[in-house]
Amino acid sequence: MVTIDLSKTGITEANERIRACAQQRDDIEIVNPDARHNIGVGLVVEDPVTVRVKGSAGYFCGGLSDGARFEIASNAGWAVGDNIYKGSVVVGGNAGAIAGVAIRGAEIVVRGNMGSRAGQVMKSGTLCCGGNAAFMAGYMMYGGRVIILGDAAAKVGQDMSAGEIFVGGKIESLGNDTMIVDMDARERDEIMEFLERYQLKFDGDFTKIVNAGKKLRYANAEPRTRPQPFFVSSKSSNYWNPKVQEDIWIKGEVGRYRIRGYGASKPVPHLNDIAFVKDVSTIRAKPEELAHINLKTTVGGRFGARPLSLSMPVMIAPMSFGALSRKVKIALARASRLSGISENTGEGGMLDEQRAEADQLIFQCLSGRLGWNVKDMQRADAIEIYISQGAKPGLGGQLMAKKVTPELAAIRGIPVGIDLRSPSRHPDVLGADDLVIKLQEFREATFHKVPIGIKMGAGRVNDDIKIAYKDGFDFVELDGLQGSTGAASTEVLENVGIPTLSGVQEAIDGLREIDAGNDMDLVMMGGIKDGVDVVKMLALGAHCTSVGTSAIIAGGCIACMQCHVGTCPVGIATQDKEHEARYDLDRQAMNIHRYLESLRWQIAAITQALGYHDVHDVNRGDLVALTPEAADITGLPFKPEYRELRRPSIGLAQLDRKAG
Amino acid sequence: MCGIAGVLFKHQGAHEIGKTLIEMLDGCQHRGPDSTGFALYGEDKEQLQLRFIVPTEAEARKQAIEAIAALLDKHGASIVSEQSLGCSYRIAVDFNGDLFAFTKDIEDQAKLVSVGHTLDIIKDDGTAHHLDDVYHVGEFKGSHGIGHVRLATESAVRPEAAHPFWATGFEDIAIVHNGQITNYWKMRRRLERRGYSFHTDNDSELVAVYLADKLSQGETLASVLETAIEDLDGTFSFLVSTKDEIGYAKDNLAAKPMVLYETDDMIAIASEEVSLNRLFPGQAINSSEPAPGTFQTWSRSI
Repeated sequence: MVTIDLSKTGITEANERIRACAQQRDDIEIVNPDARHNIGVGLVVEDPVTVRVKGSAGYFCGGLSDGARFEIASNAGWAVGDNIYKGSVVVGGNAGAIAGVAIRGAEIVVRGNMGSRAGQVMKSGTLCCGGNAAFMAGYMMYGGRVIILGDAAAKVGQDMSAGEIFVGGKIESLGNDTMIVDMDARERDEIMEFLERYQLKFDGDFTKIVNAGKKLRYANAEPRTRPQPFFVSSKSSNYWNPKVQEDIWIKGEVGRYRIRGYGASKPVPHLNDIAFVKDVSTIRAKPEELAHINLKTTVGGRFGARPLSLSMPVMIAPMSFGALSRKVKIALARASRLSGISENTGEGGMLDEQRAEADQLIFQCLSGRLGWNVKDMQRADAIEIYISQGAKPGLGGQLMAKKVTPELAAIRGIPVGIDLRSPSRHPDVLGADDLVIKLQEFREATFHKVPIGIKMGAGRVNDDIKIAYKDGFDFVELDGLQGSTGAASTEVLENVGIPTLSGVQEAIDGLREIDAGNDMDLVMMGGIKDGVDVVKMLALGAHCTSVGTSAIIAGGCIACMQCHVGTCPVGIATQDKEHEARYDLDRQAMNIHRYLESLRWQIAAITQALGYHDVHDVNRGDLVALTPEAADITGLPFKPEYRELRRPSIGLAQLDRKAG
Repeated sequence: MCGIAGVLFKHQGAHEIGKTLIEMLDGCQHRGPDSTGFALYGEDKEQLQLRFIVPTEAEARKQAIEAIAALLDKHGASIVSEQSLGCSYRIAVDFNGDLFAFTKDIEDQAKLVSVGHTLDIIKDDGTAHHLDDVYHVGEFKGSHGIGHVRLATESAVRPEAAHPFWATGFEDIAIVHNGQITNYWKMRRRLERRGYSFHTDNDSELVAVYLADKLSQGETLASVLETAIEDLDGTFSFLVSTKDEIGYAKDNLAAKPMVLYETDDMIAIASEEVSLNRLFPGQAINSSEPAPGTFQTWSRSI
C-alpha cells in the first residue's frame, strides 16, 4: 500500500504515481483529497488495483480509467466514474450530478444519494444508488442497469434508448418514452447478488422501467428519392424548383423536417469574393523551386504537448465511421499519411485499421460519448472535444437507422437499428467553467502529452473563441456554415450557422480583443475546396485549414444526396456491406492523396507568387474584397476593379500548358 | 461562467469572514481566473458606506474623485472618511435623504459598486489572493459574506463587470451568480418600466435588482427566491445576501453546480466541494447538493 498526500502533491504528479504503483500492483491510499478533481483519471491496468480516497473527491474521480477499483470514503463531485470500461467506484457518501456518465461496463455504487442525470448516455455496466436519485436518472442511457434503492425524482429514464432502471422507492414521474414492466425472478436474484457483493441491504420490491419503443425511430422514414445531385438541387436561381417541390411533397408524407447530408446550398459571401492584391494568375513556378517554400505547420504546441506536425497547413476534417463506411475511413487515413497530414475520427470511435494507416490521428469526443474510451485516447495524436459543427451548430449528430448496423452499434455501445440522435450537449459541460475541468480531465488521461483542441460550429464566434482561449485549449477547429454533415435537418443546414468568412473574422477579432496573440492555433474549415482557398484563409488569419467535403469528392463522392439514407451508390456514406463492396479503397486513397498534393502545389505556388518563402508569412495585406459584403465582413478594402483581373485559376492554367 | 461561494456564521461575533471567503474562492479559482469579488458584511456603521471604481491612472483618478465629491455635495452628503486603494475609492458619508434618488443620480455619473451601512463590496481583476494583497480582504471581520470568481466571456475584463453586484437603489443587498438568464431583456424592460436603470448588460445585475425590488415591497427573502425560480428563465445557481440573511436559488434544470455544508455554527455554500473542504482540511464533510428548483435562506443571530 502506497500513500499519496494530496495536500502536498499536485494532481498530475499524484496520477503519475498512481500509475507507477499500479504497474507494481500496489494498492494506493489518497489522503487529504479535499474534493480535488481528476483523482485517478487515465489509469489503465490489467490487474486490478484499489485506490482508496480517504475523504471527498472532486469531479471525474476514477474517470477515463479501465480495470481499477476506486473507493471514496466520503462524497464525490460531478461525473464520478466517467466513461469507465471495466472496474468499479464505490462512493461512501453522496455523489454529485451525472454519476456513472457514459460508463461502458463499470460498476458504480453510491451509498448515499446521487445527483441529477446519473448514468447519462451510459452504454453498459451497473450504476447503483443506496439512497435517492435526483431528477432524470438514466437520462439518454443506451444500455446497462441503474439500481436505485431509494426514491427516484422526476423524469426517471428520460429519453433512454435501452437498458433497465430498477427503483426500490417512490417514483416521482417517468421520463419520455418509458414504461413500467414486470421483472422476473432471475433479474431480482442478479440484483440481490450485486447488492450483497457491495454490502447494501434491501428487502422491498423494485419497479422496473424500460424504454417504451415509441421514439427510437422517426415515425415516418425518409423515403428514397430520385437522385438529385447537390449541384443541381442547390440551384438558387429559381425560388421554386424541383428540389423545393420534392421537399414539400415529402414533408407532406413524413410530417416533419427533411433530413439530408452535405452543407448549406444558399449563396453566402465566401473566399471567392476575396482576391489577391498581386496578380498570381501568371505563375510559372517550377516544381524544384516550390520545394523550397516552407509549408510545414505544427498544431497544438501551446502548452508543451507534442504538437501535430503537418507537411502543409491542411488537415482531414472530422468525419465519423458511421456517417462514412469503414473503407472510406481507411482511405482517408492512408491519404493523410501519404500526404503527411492528419486524419480525424469524428464521432463514433476509432478503428484499428484507421489508427494503423494514419500517422497522425485526432480523436474526437462528442456529447453522446459514442465509441469514446480512454484506451483510444491514449493512442491518439491529438484530442478534440466537439461542441458543435458548422452545418448544425447547437445540435447533436444524427445517424439514421439504416446505418446503425450491429458492427456500428457495438463500437458505439448503442442498440442496433435506432435512429440515433446524439445529445446536443455534453453531460458534464454546461458552461465555460465546467469545460475547464473537463479539459483538465483529458490532460490527466493523456498525461499532458497530446494537444487538446475544441471543435466549434461558427455561431457566436467572438464569445466562443475567447472561452476556448481562456479555458486553455491548444487549438480550435472552427467550422463555418458551408461545412457538410452526414445528416441534419435541411432548415438547420441552411439557416443556423454563419458563413466561414464571418467565422474566421470574428475569431481573429475576438482573439485580438483579449490580446491573445497567436499561440492558440486556429484551424478553419467549411467550404475549403483548393489551395487558393487555403492561402486566402491563412492570409485572413487562420493558422491551418481542414478539408472534408472536398476530400470525399476526391475519393469518389458523386454528391447524389443519399448520405442520410444509407444506400450510398458508391459505397461512401453507407454501412451496407453490399454497397461498401463497390468502394475501391486502394484506388480512392490514391485519388484523395493526389488531390491533397494538388493543394500542396497550389499553396506553394501562390505563396511564392506573393513573394514569400513561408506560407505562414501571407497576411491580410495580400488580400482585397471583391464585393461589398465580403469587405463588410472582413474589413478588407473593397476593390471591385479586381474582378476584371481575375483569370482562370492557376490550376487550370497549369493544365492548359500541360495540354499544350 | 464562474464559481461562487458564501458563508454565514450563525452566532454573534467578529468572525473571519475575509479569510474564510479568500480560502473558498482560492479553492475554486480554476472556474474563473479573470476577476474576483467579495461582498462582506461587518458591523452596522453609523455612516453610509460607498465604494466606487475609479481609474488607476493618477490624473484620471483625481478627476473621478473630484467629480464624486461634487456629486455628493449636490445631494447634501458630507464625506466623513475616505480611502483610495487599487481601483477603488471608498468613503463614509453622512446622508439622510432619499437613497434611491441619490444613488440613481450618482450611478449615472460614477461607477458606484457598493452601498450600505454593513456591506462592503470589493472587486477587481485578479485572483482572491491578489485582492487580499491590494485591499486587505483577509482583515475583514464580520458575520457573513458571498464571493465570486469570474471567467469573463461575454463582457470585457473590467473591475466593474466583476461580481458581486449591488442591487441598484437598495442598500446592503448583494448577489453572486453562476449561469445565464435567458429572459434577460424581457425582465430588464419590465424593471426599467418600474423606474430602475441598469449600468451593465450583465444578467447578474438584473437578478440583484429583481430581488431588491421585491424585497422593497415587503416580501421576505425566502418568498422572493421562490418567485425568482419561476420568473427567471435560464440556468442559474445564485447566492444573495442582505444585512442579516444569506440565501440561494437553483434553477429547475440544476445545470449549474452547488453544494452546501451546514453545522450548528455556520452555513457554507459553494460551486464545488473543493471550496467547502478548504474550511475543513483533511476531513470528510457531510455536504449535500440542493435539489433542482429549490431555495433556502439562513439568518444570523441578531
